[in-house]
Amino acid sequence: MSETLKLSWLITVRHWRVYRKYIWSNILPTVIEPCFFMLSLGLGMSAFVSEIDGKSYATFMGPGLAVSAAMFTAFFECSYGFYVRLKMDGIYKALLTTPISPREVVFGELIWVSLKGACMATGVSLIFILFGFIPLSWNLLGLFGVGALVGLACGAIGLISATMIKNISQFQTVYALIISPLFFFSGNLFPVERMPTWFQVGAHISPLYHGVKMGQMLLWQNVDVSVFFLHAGELTVMAVVFCWIAGVNVQKSLQS
Amino acid sequence: MQALVCQNVKKNFKSFHALKGVSFTVQEGECFGLLGPNGAGKSTLIGMLYGVVKRSSGSIEIFGKDPALQGRDVRARLGVVTQDDNLDNAMTVIENMTMYARYMGIPSAECLERVTELLEFMHLDHKKNAVIESLSGGMKRRLVFVRALIARPQILILDEPTTGLDPAVRQLLWDKINELKKQGTTVILTTHYMDEAERLCDRLVIMDEGEIRSQGSPKNLIQQHCPAFVAGVTKTPGLGESMERLGFSYYEDKLHGYIGGSSLRELSECLTTSNIVPQFLRPSNLEDVFLKITGRELADHE
Repeated sequence: MSETLKLSWLITVRHWRVYRKYIWSNILPTVIEPCFFMLSLGLGMSAFVSEIDGKSYATFMGPGLAVSAAMFTAFFECSYGFYVRLKMDGIYKALLTTPISPREVVFGELIWVSLKGACMATGVSLIFILFGFIPLSWNLLGLFGVGALVGLACGAIGLISATMIKNISQFQTVYALIISPLFFFSGNLFPVERMPTWFQVGAHISPLYHGVKMGQMLLWQNVDVSVFFLHAGELTVMAVVFCWIAGVNVQKSLQS
Repeated sequence: MQALVCQNVKKNFKSFHALKGVSFTVQEGECFGLLGPNGAGKSTLIGMLYGVVKRSSGSIEIFGKDPALQGRDVRARLGVVTQDDNLDNAMTVIENMTMYARYMGIPSAECLERVTELLEFMHLDHKKNAVIESLSGGMKRRLVFVRALIARPQILILDEPTTGLDPAVRQLLWDKINELKKQGTTVILTTHYMDEAERLCDRLVIMDEGEIRSQGSPKNLIQQHCPAFVAGVTKTPGLGESMERLGFSYYEDKLHGYIGGSSLRELSECLTTSNIVPQFLRPSNLEDVFLKITGRELADHE
């Protein structure tokens, strides 16, 4: 088992080495987008939106946008990124001639994407804290965990789609039909509780919804422990199931 | 000692039988060739050796270990020159090599020394910090050799190693392969170049449609399947019968008629008396054997 972890970690190391070469242009899009959102909606729209549950619109959106950043970075890394590594550059063909096996490729991808999700969710939260949209608290550290879980679930969606599509342009369809709706309907832009019951129930199938809920509780410092762990549980189950499917699919596409 | 033992290896892709029961043995230190037309099952077999292709039945042992069950141990002893280069385009030459060395579990101090030495041998030391995209096809191929050799493999698997390379690079690589052979490395080679196989292989198998059609040393195979010398002539109706009456063999492929004889003198005397000017007159080679056994060239165009 330790050997498996060591070899999986090497794949994460490889990704980090590549990532850090152009670290600023890699980080920038993931970080700047939520900031633009904040600028446009948080500041622009706030003239028309009165407070939500006693919070300014910017404070309301902050945690949700931060957790969404984890989803985006994870999805793109495991969809386009993985597809290029798998089909175009074929780097796994070379990798699999070494002691690394397909299972370790899967673990390596997932470790990397969970770390990326964790750092992005925390990083974007920190920026919002610095701008004064969200109060600073130790709870910020909890965003590592939330980001990691969202990263795993959404990274797995990316991996699954990468193994199913026939052409790289089909990722746009996946994005339009899965990732976009997750972003728009997961309670990061408006409170799901104000929506009809069917919407509230439906939101539970979104991994992002649970992440957003957890992020909000943490950053607004009103954690209801039982509700928090309910969301954590649902998100964990989703992440495990998605990762498991992704693992089966990826191993199949690496071995014939 | 036996480096590789394959017994009755089969592979089915749904209803397609890519390998229909292949058995052979490779001794340690031997250079063993897998020849065959495209689609003969060579790459499927090679893939099984390092575990990316699962076999349907049969057994494979590499130094006594099954690559399907103990893949990690097996692969640590292999060096593979894959058919495609599959270099990591996101990294430079040296980064590619050091990262690969880490996958192979080589300590970084040892690795840098080894990589430098190999890059020098392959005349790539000046490209150390170059990005992969800037390399020519020949340079990439040489780099893939470096990659395969970093961990001092006991078995070197070469899947069409010199396809698309210029003669100078091919000679450089052949030189390296011979040097490794002398040091006791076992080499498994697939190639479409018969001169390459004849030059490098101690023993080889010719495969077609998932089966082994013939095996032996290049010399034996030529003796077994072809006359010692052949004269290439213009295809003429009736020539075959008259030659066979004179005790010479005759066959045709798409390009030439071939008159075969057991000695050069007899054959050239026969050509002179029959008043035939040959296009060439040469010893039979592995290519003749290959075409005769696989028959693909002939069968396809008849």
